[in-house]
Amino acid sequence: MSASTESKVVSVDPSRLRLTDGEGTTGVFLGMRCRDCGIYVFGAALFCQSCSSGDLESVELSGRGILYSYTIVRVPPAGWPGPVPYVLGEVELPEGPHVLAEVTDIPEADLKIGLAVAMALQKVQDGQSETARMVYKWRPIPQFTGVGQEETR
Amino acid sequence: MTQFKPVRDVVVVGVGLHPFGRFPGKDLATLAREAVVAALQDGGVWWRDIPVAYFGHVYYQGMSVGETALGALGLTGIPIINVENACSSGSTAFWQAYWGITAGVYDLALAFGAEKVPGGPVTVTAADSPERYIGGDHMMAGYALRMRRYMEETGAPAAALAQVAVKARQNALLNPYAHRKQTYTVEDVLASRPIADPLTLYQCCPTSEGSAAAVLCAREALGRYGLDPSRAISVVAATLTSGNYNGRGSDHSAFSPYRTEPAGRAAYEMSGLGPEDIDLLQVHDAATIGELQQIEALDLAPRGEAWQATLEGRTALTGDLPVNTDGGLLAMGHPFGATGIRMVHETVTQLRGEAGPRQVPKARVGMAQCSGAGDVTTVHILAR
Repeated sequence: MSASTESKVVSVDPSRLRLTDGEGTTGVFLGMRCRDCGIYVFGAALFCQSCSSGDLESVELSGRGILYSYTIVRVPPAGWPGPVPYVLGEVELPEGPHVLAEVTDIPEADLKIGLAVAMALQKVQDGQSETARMVYKWRPIPQFTGVGQEETR
Repeated sequence: MTQFKPVRDVVVVGVGLHPFGRFPGKDLATLAREAVVAALQDGGVWWRDIPVAYFGHVYYQGMSVGETALGALGLTGIPIINVENACSSGSTAFWQAYWGITAGVYDLALAFGAEKVPGGPVTVTAADSPERYIGGDHMMAGYALRMRRYMEETGAPAAALAQVAVKARQNALLNPYAHRKQTYTVEDVLASRPIADPLTLYQCCPTSEGSAAAVLCAREALGRYGLDPSRAISVVAATLTSGNYNGRGSDHSAFSPYRTEPAGRAAYEMSGLGPEDIDLLQVHDAATIGELQQIEALDLAPRGEAWQATLEGRTALTGDLPVNTDGGLLAMGHPFGATGIRMVHETVTQLRGEAGPRQVPKARVGMAQCSGAGDVTTVHILAR
């Protein structure tokens, strides 16, 4: 058996990120909205996390938000395939959920709570698997400029 | 949260500890057993009288470790239940023992916990989880996110956070069982190796090995088992709540960490006591920020003011609300499964007046709060 030279690209977590083109270079956040109480959750849910209603609808969530908090991780968890140190950002989406991901392309001095950021995808291949994962990251943007997908690096 | 109704009074009759630290030559079952034997001896309880045992531990080191630990004491055929509830595993075991007794299922119960935590950053999810690629599963990074929010919203200076660690080490110096016994200054803490900014190494609890055990009994059954009522300490509240785990996303806010607030309020209601009645407090200080947030969530300081209380020395052994009197997770150490019962051990020791050089004078009521991943929070209130 010969290994395929074309490695497959998949979403790092299909319940949270849907890839929207054949290359897997653009994507959209997925979530659920409760039809009873209106709350949004990031990713999949069978029941509303707030009111336990079973009447949920699948929705796309904004790919932009505001930096709620951040840390510079200098001792990474085992198996982290990225750079060290890395900036971990907690971002509040306009719909409410908070999304943790690496913040890229930002000098440490520019980090501050309240920063506007947008989701960007990065291909991660860690050698443990032939499958490359498209992983969502946060990247600073000047301001909210409307809806739509961010370009991918 | 759902409130269960206690039926009869429950007391702690015996507590035992194995020192916290690193014990490479000793397996988990052996570690666990030593605390159990100490607790049985402390309470004057016969092993053959114990009708049920709950064992808290997290890391997989073989199946049915509770059975292996207790089997060597003699196979009595009792139910032995292994409990995994993250860093609250031990306190969950204690909570289960309490509720079984108060409900009348059994008169006596053993709760014990032990751990040999591997070194390095602690993660919650499985190794093949998407979180490994996303980078958000890192216990101390989570605390760092909370800490930055807290500092931003309250104006707490870095030195106030560092003082929590300095105080923990001072208390641990008076505790022969503690993992960390070297003292340091606020400057040392701030200059220690950065882990996840703004958290430095000395503001993170060590990953430890150790064990703790407690024997609980129905008060009305003390005489039946020949147990000494004068050293028995009442359990006047036992609450456990788990959180919204999935979907809603992470929220590392400045206040109300985990589910401490509802668990604490339920504990006050169950005991008929209020924050003003608490003489000493053990809380989940896996990182310095944890201690401040837990104190506030338990209504023992106004929101955003626990850092000032810390700088004023109010949470020190000599203050009006001594917190983590044995050194806490930060300095006593944090073997996950043992930690919740270690807090009970310290509270019982203080309420009996047996804490020696770290004795809090006139301590009558003590609270122990323990958090774990999954937004698990337990709160126990013990009273003399």
